[in-house]
Amino acid sequence: MTTPTAEAPYLDISDPTFAMQSEALRNAREQSWYARTNYGIAVLRYEEVSKLLKDPRLKQGSAQWPEHHGVHSGLFYDWWTKNLLVLEGEDHHRIRRLLNPAFSPRLLKSLVPKFQALANELVDEFIDKGECEFVSDFAEPYATRVLTIMLGIPEAEWPTIARLASTIGLALGVTLKQDLHKVEAALDELYEYAEALIADRQASPGDDFVSRLVLANRDGDSLSDAELRNALVLLIFGGMDTTRNQLGLAMQSFMRNPEQWELLAERPELGSKAVEEVMRINPTVTWVTREAIEDFTYEGLEVSKETTVHLFTQSAGTDPRAFPEPEMNLLGEHAPHYGFGGGVHHCLGHFVARSDMSEALPLLARRLRNPRINGADEWMPDSGNTGPIRLPISFIKGE
Amino acid sequence: MKIFVDRQLCENHGQCAIAAPQVFRMNSEGILEYEENVNDSLLPDVEDAMDACPVQAIFIQDQS
Repeated sequence: MTTPTAEAPYLDISDPTFAMQSEALRNAREQSWYARTNYGIAVLRYEEVSKLLKDPRLKQGSAQWPEHHGVHSGLFYDWWTKNLLVLEGEDHHRIRRLLNPAFSPRLLKSLVPKFQALANELVDEFIDKGECEFVSDFAEPYATRVLTIMLGIPEAEWPTIARLASTIGLALGVTLKQDLHKVEAALDELYEYAEALIADRQASPGDDFVSRLVLANRDGDSLSDAELRNALVLLIFGGMDTTRNQLGLAMQSFMRNPEQWELLAERPELGSKAVEEVMRINPTVTWVTREAIEDFTYEGLEVSKETTVHLFTQSAGTDPRAFPEPEMNLLGEHAPHYGFGGGVHHCLGHFVARSDMSEALPLLARRLRNPRINGADEWMPDSGNTGPIRLPISFIKGE
Repeated sequence: MKIFVDRQLCENHGQCAIAAPQVFRMNSEGILEYEENVNDSLLPDVEDAMDACPVQAIFIQDQS
Protein backbone atom coordinates (compact mmCIF):
# COMPACT_ATOMS: atom_id res chain seq x y z
CA MET A 1 0.00 0.00 0.00
CA THR A 2 0.94 3.60 -0.44
CA THR A 3 2.21 5.13 2.79
CA PRO A 4 0.93 8.69 2.89
CA THR A 5 1.79 10.49 6.09
CA ALA A 6 -0.98 10.71 8.66
CA GLU A 7 -0.70 14.52 8.58
CA ALA A 8 -1.92 14.68 4.99
CA PRO A 9 -5.55 15.85 4.79
CA TYR A 10 -8.29 13.27 4.27
CA LEU A 11 -11.21 13.59 1.83
CA ASP A 12 -14.18 11.22 1.60
CA ILE A 13 -14.70 11.34 -2.16
CA SER A 14 -17.53 8.76 -2.11
CA ASP A 15 -19.69 10.97 0.12
CA PRO A 16 -22.53 12.25 -2.12
CA THR A 17 -22.17 15.69 -0.50
CA PHE A 18 -18.43 15.87 -1.25
CA ALA A 19 -17.85 19.23 -2.95
CA MET A 20 -14.91 20.12 -5.18
CA GLN A 21 -15.47 23.86 -4.84
CA SER A 22 -15.43 23.91 -1.04
CA GLU A 23 -13.53 25.45 1.85
CA ALA A 24 -12.48 21.94 2.93
CA LEU A 25 -10.81 21.24 -0.39
CA ARG A 26 -9.15 24.66 -0.56
CA ASN A 27 -7.81 24.15 2.97
CA ALA A 28 -6.52 20.71 2.04
CA ARG A 29 -4.78 22.20 -1.03
CA GLU A 30 -3.07 24.80 1.19
CA GLN A 31 -1.97 22.14 3.63
CA SER A 32 -0.57 19.60 1.15
CA TRP A 33 -0.19 18.82 -2.57
CA TYR A 34 -2.15 15.60 -2.06
CA ALA A 35 -4.89 14.25 0.17
CA ARG A 36 -5.64 10.76 1.40
CA THR A 37 -9.04 9.48 0.31
CA ASN A 38 -11.16 6.40 0.94
CA TYR A 39 -10.06 5.19 -2.52
CA GLY A 40 -6.44 6.08 -3.37
CA ILE A 41 -4.83 9.52 -3.19
CA ALA A 42 -6.07 12.82 -4.60
CA VAL A 43 -3.64 15.29 -6.18
CA LEU A 44 -4.77 18.86 -5.53
CA ARG A 45 -2.19 21.31 -6.91
CA TYR A 46 -1.53 22.39 -10.50
CA GLU A 47 2.14 21.50 -10.85
CA GLU A 48 1.75 18.01 -9.42
CA VAL A 49 -1.41 17.32 -11.46
CA SER A 50 0.41 18.47 -14.61
CA LYS A 51 3.40 16.19 -13.95
CA LEU A 52 1.57 13.09 -12.74
CA LEU A 53 -0.98 13.25 -15.56
CA LYS A 54 1.84 12.50 -18.01
CA ASP A 55 4.05 10.40 -15.75
CA PRO A 56 5.02 7.12 -17.49
CA ARG A 57 4.85 5.30 -14.12
CA LEU A 58 1.07 5.76 -14.11
CA LYS A 59 -1.52 4.23 -16.45
CA GLN A 60 -5.16 5.10 -17.04
CA GLY A 61 -7.03 3.97 -13.94
CA SER A 62 -10.39 2.64 -15.17
CA ALA A 63 -9.50 -0.70 -16.79
CA GLN A 64 -10.64 -2.63 -13.72
CA TRP A 65 -13.86 -0.61 -13.32
CA PRO A 66 -16.31 -3.40 -14.30
CA GLU A 67 -14.47 -5.98 -12.21
CA HIS A 68 -14.37 -3.68 -9.19
CA HIS A 69 -18.16 -3.60 -9.47
CA GLY A 70 -18.73 -7.33 -9.82
CA VAL A 71 -18.95 -7.47 -13.64
CA HIS A 72 -16.55 -10.06 -15.10
CA SER A 73 -17.98 -10.84 -18.54
CA GLY A 74 -20.68 -9.95 -21.05
CA LEU A 75 -21.34 -7.32 -23.69
CA PHE A 76 -20.41 -4.31 -21.54
CA TYR A 77 -17.31 -6.00 -20.13
CA ASP A 78 -16.11 -6.89 -23.63
CA TRP A 79 -16.62 -3.36 -24.93
CA TRP A 80 -15.07 -1.64 -21.92
CA THR A 81 -11.93 -3.77 -21.83
CA LYS A 82 -11.28 -3.18 -25.55
CA ASN A 83 -12.02 0.55 -25.71
CA LEU A 84 -9.31 3.12 -26.31
CA LEU A 85 -9.84 4.70 -22.89
CA VAL A 86 -8.37 1.71 -21.05
CA LEU A 87 -5.97 0.22 -23.64
CA GLU A 88 -2.27 0.76 -22.96
CA GLY A 89 1.01 0.62 -24.85
CA GLU A 90 1.10 -0.41 -28.51
CA ASP A 91 -2.51 -1.72 -28.39
CA HIS A 92 -3.59 1.82 -27.50
CA HIS A 93 -1.18 3.61 -29.83
CA ARG A 94 -2.19 1.56 -32.89
CA ILE A 95 -5.90 2.42 -32.48
CA ARG A 96 -5.13 6.03 -31.65
CA ARG A 97 -2.97 6.42 -34.78
CA LEU A 98 -5.83 5.15 -36.91
CA LEU A 99 -8.51 7.27 -35.20
CA ASN A 100 -6.62 10.56 -34.78
CA PRO A 101 -6.64 11.83 -38.39
CA ALA A 102 -10.48 11.89 -38.53
CA PHE A 103 -10.44 14.26 -35.53
CA SER A 104 -8.03 16.70 -37.16
CA PRO A 105 -8.85 20.35 -36.40
CA ARG A 106 -8.44 21.19 -40.13
CA LEU A 107 -11.17 18.73 -41.12
CA LEU A 108 -13.54 19.90 -38.39
CA LYS A 109 -13.57 23.50 -39.68
CA SER A 110 -16.14 22.61 -42.33
CA LEU A 111 -18.64 21.75 -39.57
CA VAL A 112 -18.58 25.20 -37.93
CA PRO A 113 -21.45 26.71 -39.99
CA LYS A 114 -23.57 23.68 -39.09
CA PHE A 115 -22.83 24.15 -35.38
CA GLN A 116 -23.88 27.82 -35.65
CA ALA A 117 -27.09 26.99 -37.51
CA LEU A 118 -27.95 24.33 -34.95
CA ALA A 119 -27.38 26.69 -31.99
CA ASN A 120 -29.56 29.36 -33.60
CA GLU A 121 -32.32 26.88 -34.39
CA LEU A 122 -32.46 25.70 -30.78
CA VAL A 123 -32.47 29.24 -29.37
CA ASP A 124 -35.21 30.30 -31.84
CA GLU A 125 -37.49 27.71 -30.23
CA PHE A 126 -37.58 29.38 -26.81
CA ILE A 127 -36.20 32.91 -27.10
CA ASP A 128 -39.58 34.65 -27.25
CA LYS A 129 -40.60 33.09 -23.93
CA GLY A 130 -37.70 34.79 -22.12
CA GLU A 131 -36.99 31.57 -20.25
CA CYS A 132 -35.89 27.98 -20.85
CA GLU A 133 -34.74 24.86 -19.10
CA PHE A 134 -31.18 25.14 -20.29
CA VAL A 135 -30.28 21.42 -20.15
CA SER A 136 -33.23 19.95 -22.07
CA ASP A 137 -33.85 23.00 -24.31
CA PHE A 138 -30.26 23.63 -25.31
CA ALA A 139 -27.34 21.70 -23.81
CA GLU A 140 -28.62 18.16 -24.43
CA PRO A 141 -30.04 18.61 -27.96
CA TYR A 142 -26.99 20.66 -28.97
CA ALA A 143 -24.45 18.13 -27.67
CA THR A 144 -26.33 15.19 -29.20
CA ARG A 145 -27.13 16.77 -32.55
CA VAL A 146 -23.48 17.77 -32.97
CA LEU A 147 -22.74 14.03 -32.78
CA THR A 148 -25.45 13.17 -35.31
CA ILE A 149 -24.00 15.81 -37.65
CA MET A 150 -20.52 14.32 -37.28
CA LEU A 151 -21.72 10.76 -37.71
CA GLY A 152 -24.17 11.51 -40.49
CA ILE A 153 -27.16 10.13 -38.57
CA PRO A 154 -30.48 11.90 -39.35
CA GLU A 155 -30.74 14.72 -36.82
CA ALA A 156 -34.35 13.80 -36.03
CA GLU A 157 -33.04 10.65 -34.36
CA TRP A 158 -31.15 12.62 -31.70
CA PRO A 159 -33.52 11.72 -28.81
CA THR A 160 -32.75 8.02 -29.34
CA ILE A 161 -29.01 8.69 -29.37
CA ALA A 162 -29.32 10.86 -26.23
CA ARG A 163 -31.28 8.14 -24.44
CA LEU A 164 -28.81 5.40 -25.40
CA ALA A 165 -25.78 7.52 -24.44
CA SER A 166 -27.30 8.42 -21.06
CA THR A 167 -28.20 4.79 -20.36
CA ILE A 168 -24.69 3.61 -21.16
CA GLY A 169 -23.49 6.43 -18.91
CA LEU A 170 -25.06 4.52 -16.00
CA ALA A 171 -22.09 2.18 -16.36
CA LEU A 172 -19.91 4.86 -14.74
CA GLY A 173 -22.02 4.81 -11.56
CA VAL A 174 -21.30 2.68 -8.53
CA THR A 175 -24.63 0.89 -9.20
CA LEU A 176 -23.21 -0.63 -12.41
CA LYS A 177 -24.11 -4.18 -11.49
CA GLN A 178 -27.82 -3.49 -10.89
CA ASP A 179 -28.02 -1.28 -14.01
CA LEU A 180 -26.12 -3.79 -16.14
CA HIS A 181 -29.10 -5.16 -18.07
CA LYS A 182 -30.17 -1.63 -19.08
CA VAL A 183 -26.60 -0.71 -20.02
CA GLU A 184 -26.21 -3.83 -22.17
CA ALA A 185 -29.58 -3.35 -23.90
CA ALA A 186 -28.54 0.22 -24.80
CA LEU A 187 -25.12 -0.94 -25.94
CA ASP A 188 -26.71 -3.57 -28.15
CA GLU A 189 -28.97 -0.96 -29.75
CA LEU A 190 -26.07 1.43 -30.27
CA TYR A 191 -24.05 -1.37 -31.88
CA GLU A 192 -26.81 -1.75 -34.47
CA TYR A 193 -26.62 1.98 -35.27
CA ALA A 194 -22.85 1.84 -35.52
CA GLU A 195 -22.79 -1.31 -37.66
CA ALA A 196 -25.34 0.13 -40.10
CA LEU A 197 -23.27 3.32 -40.43
CA ILE A 198 -20.07 1.40 -41.03
CA ALA A 199 -21.67 -0.88 -43.64
CA ASP A 200 -23.15 2.13 -45.41
CA ARG A 201 -19.82 4.01 -45.64
CA GLN A 202 -17.91 0.89 -46.63
CA ALA A 203 -20.33 0.49 -49.54
CA SER A 204 -20.19 4.15 -50.58
CA PRO A 205 -17.47 6.15 -48.84
CA GLY A 206 -17.62 9.95 -48.94
CA ASP A 207 -15.48 12.62 -47.30
CA ASP A 208 -17.42 12.57 -44.03
CA PHE A 209 -16.14 11.63 -40.58
CA VAL A 210 -17.25 7.97 -40.54
CA SER A 211 -15.87 7.41 -44.05
CA ARG A 212 -12.51 8.75 -42.87
CA LEU A 213 -12.49 6.18 -40.08
CA VAL A 214 -13.54 3.40 -42.45
CA LEU A 215 -10.79 4.36 -44.90
CA ALA A 216 -8.14 5.05 -42.24
CA ASN A 217 -5.03 3.10 -43.10
CA ARG A 218 -1.56 3.22 -41.74
CA ASP A 219 1.25 1.18 -43.27
CA GLY A 220 -1.31 -1.32 -44.55
CA ASP A 221 -3.07 -1.60 -41.20
CA SER A 222 -6.68 -0.53 -40.77
CA LEU A 223 -9.45 -0.77 -38.19
CA SER A 224 -11.48 -3.97 -38.11
CA ASP A 225 -15.29 -3.75 -38.16
CA ALA A 226 -15.39 -4.47 -34.41
CA GLU A 227 -12.76 -1.77 -33.75
CA LEU A 228 -14.71 0.73 -35.85
CA ARG A 229 -17.90 -0.11 -33.98
CA ASN A 230 -16.21 0.18 -30.58
CA ALA A 231 -14.78 3.55 -31.58
CA LEU A 232 -18.13 4.97 -32.72
CA VAL A 233 -19.76 3.84 -29.48
CA LEU A 234 -16.91 5.44 -27.51
CA LEU A 235 -17.42 8.68 -29.43
CA ILE A 236 -21.14 8.74 -28.55
CA PHE A 237 -20.50 7.59 -24.97
CA GLY A 238 -17.69 10.08 -24.41
CA GLY A 239 -18.96 12.98 -26.49
CA MET A 240 -22.57 13.52 -25.47
CA ASP A 241 -22.82 13.69 -21.67
CA THR A 242 -19.55 15.56 -21.32
CA THR A 243 -20.46 18.33 -23.76
CA ARG A 244 -24.00 18.63 -22.36
CA ASN A 245 -22.65 18.88 -18.81
CA GLN A 246 -19.90 21.33 -19.77
CA LEU A 247 -22.38 23.68 -21.47
CA GLY A 248 -24.56 23.64 -18.32
CA LEU A 249 -21.51 24.36 -16.17
CA ALA A 250 -20.55 27.18 -18.54
CA MET A 251 -23.97 28.78 -18.05
CA GLN A 252 -23.57 28.46 -14.28
CA SER A 253 -20.13 30.09 -14.35
CA PHE A 254 -21.26 32.95 -16.56
CA MET A 255 -24.34 33.61 -14.39
CA ARG A 256 -21.91 34.04 -11.51
CA ASN A 257 -19.76 36.36 -13.65
CA PRO A 258 -22.30 38.48 -15.59
CA GLU A 259 -19.71 41.04 -16.74
CA GLN A 260 -17.84 38.20 -18.50
CA TRP A 261 -21.07 37.18 -20.30
CA GLU A 262 -21.49 40.80 -21.49
CA LEU A 263 -17.90 40.84 -22.66
CA LEU A 264 -18.43 37.60 -24.61
CA ALA A 265 -21.59 39.01 -26.23
CA GLU A 266 -19.64 42.06 -27.41
CA ARG A 267 -16.57 40.11 -28.48
CA PRO A 268 -17.55 36.73 -29.99
CA GLU A 269 -13.92 36.08 -30.96
CA LEU A 270 -13.41 35.30 -27.25
CA GLY A 271 -15.49 32.11 -27.70
CA SER A 272 -12.52 29.75 -27.53
CA LYS A 273 -11.12 31.63 -24.53
CA ALA A 274 -14.54 31.24 -22.87
CA VAL A 275 -14.36 27.45 -23.30
CA GLU A 276 -10.85 27.32 -21.80
CA GLU A 277 -11.80 29.50 -18.84
CA VAL A 278 -14.97 27.56 -18.04
CA MET A 279 -13.12 24.26 -18.26
CA ARG A 280 -10.37 25.60 -16.01
CA ILE A 281 -12.61 26.80 -13.18
CA ASN A 282 -15.68 24.57 -13.63
CA PRO A 283 -14.84 21.35 -15.53
CA THR A 284 -17.35 18.50 -15.89
CA VAL A 285 -14.54 15.99 -15.52
CA THR A 286 -13.65 16.89 -11.95
CA TRP A 287 -10.98 14.26 -11.67
CA VAL A 288 -8.89 12.07 -13.94
CA THR A 289 -7.92 8.66 -12.59
CA ARG A 290 -4.55 6.95 -12.92
CA GLU A 291 -3.02 3.81 -11.42
CA ALA A 292 0.62 3.21 -10.50
CA ILE A 293 2.26 0.48 -12.60
CA GLU A 294 5.28 0.25 -10.27
CA ASP A 295 6.44 1.39 -6.84
CA PHE A 296 7.90 4.90 -6.90
CA THR A 297 8.52 7.94 -4.74
CA TYR A 298 7.13 11.30 -5.74
CA GLU A 299 7.80 14.47 -3.71
CA GLY A 300 8.59 12.34 -0.67
CA LEU A 301 5.44 10.25 -0.99
CA GLU A 302 5.89 6.52 -1.49
CA VAL A 303 3.39 5.40 -4.10
CA SER A 304 3.12 1.63 -4.37
CA LYS A 305 2.11 -0.35 -7.43
CA GLU A 306 -1.68 -0.43 -8.08
CA THR A 307 -2.35 2.71 -6.02
CA THR A 308 -5.21 4.75 -7.51
CA VAL A 309 -4.25 8.39 -8.10
CA HIS A 310 -7.06 10.92 -8.67
CA LEU A 311 -5.89 14.09 -10.39
CA PHE A 312 -8.28 16.89 -9.39
CA THR A 313 -8.75 19.15 -12.42
CA GLN A 314 -10.83 21.95 -10.88
CA SER A 315 -8.58 22.16 -7.84
CA ALA A 316 -5.52 22.35 -10.11
CA GLY A 317 -7.17 24.94 -12.37
CA THR A 318 -7.83 27.30 -9.47
CA ASP A 319 -4.59 26.64 -7.55
CA PRO A 320 -3.28 30.08 -6.51
CA ARG A 321 0.31 28.86 -7.02
CA ALA A 322 -0.33 28.61 -10.77
CA PHE A 323 -3.13 31.19 -11.02
CA PRO A 324 -2.49 34.21 -8.75
CA GLU A 325 -5.83 35.60 -9.96
CA PRO A 326 -7.86 32.41 -10.37
CA GLU A 327 -11.20 34.11 -11.16
CA MET A 328 -12.72 33.68 -14.61
CA ASN A 329 -11.20 36.23 -16.95
CA LEU A 330 -11.61 35.94 -20.73
CA LEU A 331 -8.88 38.54 -21.20
CA GLY A 332 -6.41 36.86 -18.83
CA GLU A 333 -3.35 34.85 -19.85
CA HIS A 334 -3.70 31.56 -18.01
CA ALA A 335 -1.76 28.30 -18.03
CA PRO A 336 -3.52 25.37 -19.76
CA HIS A 337 -6.20 23.47 -17.83
CA TYR A 338 -6.49 19.67 -17.62
CA GLY A 339 -10.23 19.38 -18.19
CA PHE A 340 -9.46 17.15 -21.19
CA GLY A 341 -7.06 15.03 -19.17
CA GLY A 342 -3.56 14.74 -20.59
CA GLY A 343 -0.71 12.53 -21.68
CA VAL A 344 -1.26 9.56 -24.00
CA HIS A 345 -4.93 9.37 -22.91
CA HIS A 346 -5.62 13.06 -23.65
CA CYS A 347 -9.24 13.39 -24.81
CA LEU A 348 -9.46 12.30 -28.46
CA GLY A 349 -12.50 14.46 -29.22
CA HIS A 350 -11.27 17.71 -27.67
CA PHE A 351 -11.09 19.62 -30.95
CA VAL A 352 -14.77 18.77 -31.58
CA ALA A 353 -15.80 19.83 -28.07
CA ARG A 354 -13.71 23.01 -28.25
CA SER A 355 -15.08 23.84 -31.66
CA ASP A 356 -18.79 23.28 -30.92
CA MET A 357 -18.72 25.01 -27.51
CA SER A 358 -16.71 27.99 -28.78
CA GLU A 359 -19.44 28.56 -31.39
CA ALA A 360 -22.33 28.06 -28.98
CA LEU A 361 -21.20 30.25 -26.07
CA PRO A 362 -20.82 33.64 -27.83
CA LEU A 363 -24.05 33.03 -29.73
CA LEU A 364 -25.86 32.34 -26.46
CA ALA A 365 -24.26 35.40 -24.85
CA ARG A 366 -25.52 37.63 -27.66
CA ARG A 367 -29.04 36.21 -27.70
CA LEU A 368 -29.71 35.46 -24.00
CA ARG A 369 -28.89 38.67 -22.13
CA ASN A 370 -28.57 38.81 -18.36
CA PRO A 371 -29.40 35.12 -17.67
CA ARG A 372 -30.52 34.25 -14.11
CA ILE A 373 -31.65 31.11 -12.29
CA ASN A 374 -35.41 30.80 -12.65
CA GLY A 375 -36.73 28.03 -10.38
CA ALA A 376 -35.28 24.90 -8.86
CA ASP A 377 -31.98 23.71 -10.33
CA GLU A 378 -30.83 20.15 -9.80
CA TRP A 379 -27.27 18.82 -9.97
CA MET A 380 -25.32 15.60 -10.26
CA PRO A 381 -22.84 14.85 -7.45
CA ASP A 382 -19.38 16.40 -7.72
CA SER A 383 -17.53 13.11 -8.05
CA GLY A 384 -16.46 11.97 -11.52
CA ASN A 385 -18.37 13.80 -14.26
CA THR A 386 -20.66 16.49 -12.91
CA GLY A 387 -23.15 19.01 -14.29
CA PRO A 388 -26.74 20.19 -14.03
CA ILE A 389 -29.68 17.81 -14.41
CA ARG A 390 -32.07 20.78 -14.57
CA LEU A 391 -31.08 24.41 -14.98
CA PRO A 392 -34.13 26.66 -15.46
CA ILE A 393 -33.09 30.17 -16.47
CA SER A 394 -34.76 33.41 -17.49
CA PHE A 395 -33.12 36.06 -19.64
CA ILE A 396 -33.72 39.25 -21.57
CA LYS A 397 -34.16 38.55 -25.25
CA GLY A 398 -31.18 39.74 -27.28
CA GLU A 399 -31.01 39.41 -31.05
CA MET B 1 12.33 18.99 -43.93
CA LYS B 2 13.04 20.76 -40.66
CA ILE B 3 10.79 20.26 -37.64
CA PHE B 4 10.24 22.86 -34.94
CA VAL B 5 8.38 22.31 -31.66
CA ASP B 6 7.42 25.45 -29.75
CA ARG B 7 8.57 24.55 -26.24
CA GLN B 8 6.55 27.42 -24.78
CA LEU B 9 3.40 25.64 -25.96
CA CYS B 10 4.53 22.01 -25.61
CA GLU B 11 2.92 20.26 -22.63
CA ASN B 12 4.65 16.89 -23.15
CA HIS B 13 1.38 15.01 -23.66
CA GLY B 14 3.24 12.67 -26.03
CA GLN B 15 0.62 12.39 -28.77
CA CYS B 16 3.29 13.16 -31.40
CA ALA B 17 5.36 10.21 -30.17
CA ILE B 18 2.36 7.95 -30.83
CA ALA B 19 1.67 9.44 -34.28
CA ALA B 20 5.27 9.58 -35.56
CA PRO B 21 7.57 7.50 -33.35
CA GLN B 22 10.45 7.76 -35.87
CA VAL B 23 10.60 11.50 -35.24
CA PHE B 24 9.26 12.15 -31.72
CA ARG B 25 9.81 10.25 -28.45
CA MET B 26 9.29 10.83 -24.76
CA ASN B 27 12.37 10.26 -22.57
CA SER B 28 12.29 8.46 -19.23
CA GLU B 29 11.46 11.79 -17.54
CA GLY B 30 8.43 12.16 -19.79
CA ILE B 31 9.99 15.06 -21.73
CA LEU B 32 9.77 15.29 -25.53
CA GLU B 33 12.87 14.65 -27.64
CA TYR B 34 12.70 14.91 -31.43
CA GLU B 35 14.67 14.86 -34.67
CA GLU B 36 15.00 18.33 -36.16
CA ASN B 37 15.97 17.19 -39.65
CA VAL B 38 13.66 14.58 -41.06
CA ASN B 39 13.43 12.81 -44.39
CA ASP B 40 10.56 14.12 -46.54
CA SER B 41 9.21 10.57 -46.87
CA LEU B 42 7.97 10.88 -43.26
CA LEU B 43 5.77 13.88 -44.09
CA PRO B 44 2.43 12.03 -43.69
CA ASP B 45 3.39 10.82 -40.21
CA VAL B 46 4.69 14.26 -39.22
CA GLU B 47 1.43 15.81 -40.40
CA ASP B 48 -0.50 13.30 -38.28
CA ALA B 49 1.65 14.35 -35.31
CA MET B 50 0.99 18.04 -36.00
CA ASP B 51 -2.76 17.38 -36.18
CA ALA B 52 -2.80 15.20 -33.08
CA CYS B 53 -0.87 17.64 -30.90
CA PRO B 54 -3.43 18.87 -28.34
CA VAL B 55 -1.74 22.26 -28.09
CA GLN B 56 -0.75 22.51 -31.79
CA ALA B 57 2.91 23.13 -30.96
CA ILE B 58 4.53 21.33 -33.95
CA PHE B 59 5.59 23.15 -37.10
CA ILE B 60 7.47 22.35 -40.30
CA GLN B 61 9.92 25.11 -41.06
CA ASP B 62 9.90 26.31 -44.63
CA GLN B 63 13.42 25.95 -45.99
CA SER B 64 12.83 27.62 -49.33
